[in-house]
Amino acid sequence: MKILKLLLLPYMAAVVAAAFLWPEPAKGFIGESSRIVFFHVPCAWTSSLAFVVAAAYSLAYLVKRNPWHDEVAHSAVKIGLLFGVLTLITGSLFASIMWGTWWNWDPRESSYLLLVFLYAAYLFLRAAVDDPERRARIAAAYALFAAVVMPFLVFVAPRVTASLHPQTVINPQGKILMDTPTRAVFFGALAGFSGLFLWLLSLDARATRASRLERAR
Amino acid sequence: MPSATTLTAENLSKSFSGPPLFRGLSLSIRGGVVGVAGRNGSGKTTLLKILAGLMRPSAGRVLVERDGRPIPDPDRRLAVGWSGPDLELYGELTAGENLLFFRRAAGRPERREDARRRLRDCGLDEEAFDRRVEEFSTGMRQRLRLAFATLFEPDLLLLDEPANGLDAEGRAVLAALVARTRERGAVVLASNDERDLAGADERVELGAGAGRKT
Amino acid sequence: MDQAHGSVLDAVLAIALKDATAELRRRTAVVAVLFFAATALALVSFAIGPFGLPPDDRPPVQAALLWIILFFAAATGLPRAFAHEEETGTALALRKTLPAGRVLAGKALFNFVLFLAIAAVTVPGFAVLLEARAGSAAGLAATVLAGGYGLAVVSTFLSALSARAGQRHVLFVLIAFPLLSPLLLTAIQATLEALRGGFPGTPLRVLIAYDGAASCGAYLLASVAWEE
Repeated sequence: MKILKLLLLPYMAAVVAAAFLWPEPAKGFIGESSRIVFFHVPCAWTSSLAFVVAAAYSLAYLVKRNPWHDEVAHSAVKIGLLFGVLTLITGSLFASIMWGTWWNWDPRESSYLLLVFLYAAYLFLRAAVDDPERRARIAAAYALFAAVVMPFLVFVAPRVTASLHPQTVINPQGKILMDTPTRAVFFGALAGFSGLFLWLLSLDARATRASRLERAR
Repeated sequence: MPSATTLTAENLSKSFSGPPLFRGLSLSIRGGVVGVAGRNGSGKTTLLKILAGLMRPSAGRVLVERDGRPIPDPDRRLAVGWSGPDLELYGELTAGENLLFFRRAAGRPERREDARRRLRDCGLDEEAFDRRVEEFSTGMRQRLRLAFATLFEPDLLLLDEPANGLDAEGRAVLAALVARTRERGAVVLASNDERDLAGADERVELGAGAGRKT
Repeated sequence: MDQAHGSVLDAVLAIALKDATAELRRRTAVVAVLFFAATALALVSFAIGPFGLPPDDRPPVQAALLWIILFFAAATGLPRAFAHEEETGTALALRKTLPAGRVLAGKALFNFVLFLAIAAVTVPGFAVLLEARAGSAAGLAATVLAGGYGLAVVSTFLSALSARAGQRHVLFVLIAFPLLSPLLLTAIQATLEALRGGFPGTPLRVLIAYDGAASCGAYLLASVAWEE
């Protein structure tokens, strides 16, 4: 485990360097702006992953009532919030280059904004409950209920007939429309960001657990 | 006489972000009157709430069984009666409406006459039936709590400080109620007051983080 | 000594009726909520009335404003469902007798009726003050019903969650908004289509699916949200 952590830093450095040096900028994009895909999409992917992790560990907590599960879920939401905000920022940067505005009320943009609000709401809810057991239970209930209703945001997207958002990686033809260097860096970045997420998750959850155990002594 | 409905507590402990109120407490309620004694803050109310299913223990479990088989939820809620100092009924409703509501909600509706009889058995007079609970005195509220505890004729009664605010007449009503329930089942009675625990068949002492059965 | 519990329906109807009786005698929630809706309606009319929006632009604005008012009016009144029980101490009696799912369902029913009362004031108000004309009245009615039901269920569930938390009023809006956003956005879309004259089949299907999912989720998680 430690080796993976140590490798993460040089790996990410390589990914960042490659993002700017290796693939050619994609056609149809202004200047170098297509390179944002190596950062923006992994951030979006990671914040969605965080949601799934939080929901899964919330369920685990309710079944086993092990405080560790609650700590992982809590950390996942915090990190999900971080990456969600990064998604919005990188997306906004891209929008300002491509279309001159920082925000467009594009359905995909808007649904990520709502996801960020959701994470913030979860954290507010936790902050409003004092008793640790009740707090964990209530947070878990909220996370699971969110897992049930938030997917419906997907159905809201078709509202706008023409979306400005560039065609996503997973597209109707089921093929990945990227050339080899781009594909390599993209999936490399995806793996790297996922690794980053897991590392941050582990750090934060263990720190929370340590302070809980410290207080219990 | 042994109760058809039995309550077993296995290895209960409870803590609220601090040292445990009690630890490794096991009880077997099969009949008679079990007195729960202890100073204020020793966990009597918490223990009774856990036995009543109103609170989860930090560890251990509570089993309510009839004829040796566990009673499923939601029926389990009706098999054990409970009353405690923080039990409140709906102030905007009359005593009669309160009782009829809980009976109806549990799918066991009863006639107004039967609800009136219940209130009488708990020492409340005729006009209390149609009076809003927010107008009740302390003593009346306490009698109403006893009516709530016995609402579904449980074999098992958990009474937390049942004599609070009761006058001599009220205490007599309580004693009669305990005696009646003891005949066919069991009563767990928690109190600060030794007088209330005088007739107990068994005794549980709470305090100093652990429970002892004497 | 028959101590078997009754059906879910017994509990749901009894609780909704009890809440309604208590509320009619107390009147605090109903008054606050209707007053809010009326005030918001007046404010909105004064604010955009004079602008004389061209008829084509009116439906999107009306659709959005309708659901904003309905959401905030609901946020004023619906969370009281569980909060009041905790404040007056009656929650214990309820929890002792009934499983959380049934209590939640009963209160959601009452909240749905309360919502319909709000809508009964707000929707006609829109017609009069903002000159909203529904091309498809059936579509509008269906949207209000389907959207209102989801709003009631989610609000009731969150009321159970936040009943014993601090900062209750602010907290409720914060935690409700993200979860209700799919419902509100879809309801606005459906209202828009209804105002423009078409029956909003597709958005209604999404609303009904949301309602179903939210109902199941709330019922299953009720005991977690509301147990000790």
